[in-house]
Amino acid sequence: MDCQCCQKKPARIRICDVLENAVTEQANICPDCWIFVKRYMFDPARPLAPTLQVLAEVRGLIDNIPGKALATVPPPGEITPVEPAQPVPVCPECGMTLAEFKHKGRFGCARDYEVFAGHLDPLLERIHDVTPPRHKGRRPAHAPAGDALVQRSRDLAGLRQQLQAAVAEENYELAAKLRDQIQTLERAPAPGGAA
Amino acid sequence: MNDLSGFDCLAHPLGEWLKGTGPESDVVISTRVRLARNVSGFPFTARADARQRSEVLRLATEALRSVHLEKSVVTLDLQQVAEMDRDILVERHLISRELAGAEGPRGVTFGRGEMLSIMVNEEDHLRLQWIKSGFDPDRAFSALRRVDAAMETALPIAFSPLYGYLTACPTNVGTGMRVSVMVHLPALTLMEHVDKVFKAAQRMNHAVRGLYGEGTRAFGDMYQLSNQATLGRSEEEIVAGIKAIVPQVLEYERRMRGELYTEKREFVEDKVLRSLALLRNARRLSVQEMMSHLSLVRLGVDLKIVTDVSMDTLNRLFILGQPSHLQREAHAVLNPTEREARRAELVRAKLATATN
Repeated sequence: MDCQCCQKKPARIRICDVLENAVTEQANICPDCWIFVKRYMFDPARPLAPTLQVLAEVRGLIDNIPGKALATVPPPGEITPVEPAQPVPVCPECGMTLAEFKHKGRFGCARDYEVFAGHLDPLLERIHDVTPPRHKGRRPAHAPAGDALVQRSRDLAGLRQQLQAAVAEENYELAAKLRDQIQTLERAPAPGGAA
Repeated sequence: MNDLSGFDCLAHPLGEWLKGTGPESDVVISTRVRLARNVSGFPFTARADARQRSEVLRLATEALRSVHLEKSVVTLDLQQVAEMDRDILVERHLISRELAGAEGPRGVTFGRGEMLSIMVNEEDHLRLQWIKSGFDPDRAFSALRRVDAAMETALPIAFSPLYGYLTACPTNVGTGMRVSVMVHLPALTLMEHVDKVFKAAQRMNHAVRGLYGEGTRAFGDMYQLSNQATLGRSEEEIVAGIKAIVPQVLEYERRMRGELYTEKREFVEDKVLRSLALLRNARRLSVQEMMSHLSLVRLGVDLKIVTDVSMDTLNRLFILGQPSHLQREAHAVLNPTEREARRAELVRAKLATATN
């Protein structure tokens, strides 16, 4: 069977998407493509996406490297020059992309701060002349719904940390589970909303 | 609670903050504290559709009603308010130009004393502000904080432990707090030192703007000094920052006024008394002309060159002579020439009354 990513080399690795104990999607790829797919899939700066979508994006990425056929793919470090071709985080709630935020200079909703968290610090440091750019001062006192929002933000941060650790240990089974948990939490409607 | 039918802009007295009685009122007109807040679960105003905006407006209005802010407040649905009346609210600093000119469901609630104002569906869902006469950031903040705390019991507010109160613009995130001090700097302007003050303020991370906020010109030597950073500093630290800067500006302005009076007395008396004579006799006055001469007369009152005009009268003329207030009083839309004539008439009447 050919690799579903490069469609040239023999596939040796099977990737399964598991959601609530059921396989929702699977793909077979070669070890060379796995180097890229792995980096891409577990990059904490990217939103989680179904495997087939990841393969399509990685494929597009590799095709965009000028003058390089897949047979002579560069080592992972050389991928960075084509950064603009890569997909950017999208807010699941208001649809704001990082590019749109950078263009407009305004967020679409409170979730954007969570979704773009990895990209905000340099900007906020510059605007507010403070390092690290973290809140100091009062917080809402008696809003239970507000507390739930804060709790979710903490839960997500914790899960993302565990996911990074799992990837570092190459424990991909655990990583996939954590990824699904994050996805489920992200897709849940924001607490406190009457919308 | 009143709606528009119970609100008559002209019958409503001008804000207490214009009295010119607060601390340091020889230089400081007013101190305004603003907090930006958003209701969690809704997109920010620019990204919310009409249904979501009217839901935010409904929730905010209900919350405001439930927390009993002041004995008497006015709540206006701005979609139901005519353009000229919205401009009057802008001229009184009760709403921003942006909110006046925006479309869709939006509103404002303000106290009868016009010290408290809460805009709904501005850039952020809620913009709370408290204005005090003179330089009084501590009391303006504590008064507004009470309103803020009460609102938080009635509405879920978007907040993150990392970034604080979440706002549409990253320049407001954190405390969401801006302290703006409106200062009158005629002597620094006359002596051409005003640029030095602004550069020094900017170096200390504070911004200087014109009378009606961002991007507006400094009419009548009136400027707004405000904190630039809202993240990484507590509310108390922001207040302390403005308290470190403003007294230096006051001291500088007073020193220049003293220098004018002792070393260039004839020059300053000539300037002030010519302005007063012009205001008392002109038959046509543009806004800019009125404001620049009022500014010099105000300086003359402080230097005791003018003794028969009160600060209060001058502060009020700065507002009453604005285009929408004039037109509202005339009950008509006036062309620019007609406005200039009405303005001159108003100024003559107010300054003549003061002599009696």
